[in-house]
Amino acid sequence: MSAEPVADQQGRLPEEVGHSLKEIAERHGLRQVGGRPRLGAYLKGLLERRHFALVLARSQAYSQNQGSYLGQAWNILNPLINAAVYLTIFGYVLKTDRGVENYIAYLLVGVFFFQFVTRAITLGSKAVVGNTGLVNSLQFPRALLPISTVLTELIAFLPAIVVLLVLMPISGEPLRWWWLALPGAVALMHLWGTGMAFLLARLVVEVRDVANLIPFAMRALMYFSGVFFSITSYAGSGLLGTVLEYQPVAVYLQLARTCLMVEAEPSASLWIAAAAWAFGTLLVGFLFFWRAEAKYGRG
Amino acid sequence: MADATPTPVPATPAAPATPDRGRPVLVVDDVHLKYKTYGGKRRTRSSRLPGWAQGFTQGVGAVDMVHAVKGVSFVAHHGESIGLIGHNGSGKSTLLRAVAGAMPVSSGAIYTDGVASLLGVSGALIKNLSGERNIILGCLALGLKPDEVAQHYDEVVEFADIGEFVRLPMEAYSSGMGARLRFAISTAASPDILMIDEALATGDASFKARSQRRIDEIRERAGTVLLVSHSMGTIKETCDRVLWLDSGVLRADGDPDEVIEAYMETQRKKVEAAKK
Repeated sequence: MSAEPVADQQGRLPEEVGHSLKEIAERHGLRQVGGRPRLGAYLKGLLERRHFALVLARSQAYSQNQGSYLGQAWNILNPLINAAVYLTIFGYVLKTDRGVENYIAYLLVGVFFFQFVTRAITLGSKAVVGNTGLVNSLQFPRALLPISTVLTELIAFLPAIVVLLVLMPISGEPLRWWWLALPGAVALMHLWGTGMAFLLARLVVEVRDVANLIPFAMRALMYFSGVFFSITSYAGSGLLGTVLEYQPVAVYLQLARTCLMVEAEPSASLWIAAAAWAFGTLLVGFLFFWRAEAKYGRG
Repeated sequence: MADATPTPVPATPAAPATPDRGRPVLVVDDVHLKYKTYGGKRRTRSSRLPGWAQGFTQGVGAVDMVHAVKGVSFVAHHGESIGLIGHNGSGKSTLLRAVAGAMPVSSGAIYTDGVASLLGVSGALIKNLSGERNIILGCLALGLKPDEVAQHYDEVVEFADIGEFVRLPMEAYSSGMGARLRFAISTAASPDILMIDEALATGDASFKARSQRRIDEIRERAGTVLLVSHSMGTIKETCDRVLWLDSGVLRADGDPDEVIEAYMETQRKKVEAAKK
């Protein structure tokens, strides 16, 4: 019997014998690990670790281009080559420039902004399952992962915006005061992307196979968002055209064009739609993600 | 009045005399841990499917549930060093991950006081980032403020003793270097509960001595150390209490010599059975 000391007292000190483990924990003010914190405490925890999210995002953005000789130069080269490929295909071969005066500018804005959307959604959906190393060894509010992943893409997107701003005048667009509104459009798109990352990151944790479907959804979205053709010129202004015009990705692309291109009329309804999509998706996505906080890390 | 001499209190073995000694800092209450695993599935004995069909189930729907910890309960107090022993796959590492808050419990509850930091050999850090970045990230993730990170940075680099390698990505590190850096980072914040998963097995003699000193420091300052190791020597040196996990069940909890003796006994039987 005595060869195997049985854990009947579970390490209780003499004065603790007779109390349940829960009582001991409560009497000494211990806090329960895991579980879902209240919304206020969760937000506070997020705010306290904001530096972690930022440094993680900056490091990841930096490391994306580290595995090559040209290294960080790819931040500029990537969008340039991307633009050249799309201009060749859609500007010279397919000629989808109906209803657009400055097709080069139109296409460049579409391609660059859609690239951000694709990456934010694809990588954001894997924010939790793709960071098992962090999730399995450290305790922090998991919402930091989608936030930081989309922030990574925003940081990687900034050089592309600089390239875009240089190419715009070359394509024939004049400098205008409206350019100053571009950061606002980018910010709204970023918030919407973060909301989407929240939604998809939890879905992928619940059913991993969702991640396999996202590339198809993104390809379909590319054709429905007016990346390389004008929606109103091809789908008309009927019900279908209006739906396509006000779906979020199309809204953000068009919003960016109204900032940078003379022919795209600035419109209040577009800004309202962009803000509504951004804050609506962010709120719903965040709550959806937070509700499953206790599940992340269980595989 | 007559009692000038205090009544002798039964000495608690190997307990440093800190004022907080005896305050519970970790309570594990009937904890079960299960996790899903993808990409493979155990074959059930009852399966009557032909061979080719079993091959099919390995490739599709290959998701299995592992019940790693089955109803473990214990309470740990300030100043204790607890060793966790058991065969590979007995649930030791999984239990530590749960205490660190990195893995949700399936049922039961874990209560802690303050920060529990887990130091694992297959650790937290991001392999394609430089040691520098990983130090900053690791410290921030542990909850340090940016100015505190700056304060601790040099100390971490010095303790890890990796020299110029601090600028290279961690994938270029030898396993010893990686383990040293992770150890240095996770002890930078002087956690209230330090959990170490086999880390002392790696590293050369000088690092072992330094890390042993660091663990002693943490025990004095903060409190509790939980150590997973297959080296009974390390456990005996470091711990004043040992838990023995066997297939997810707590088999024994108590004095290191007794528990280790009982554990070694079953090990010997297994080895003998294997020889026959």
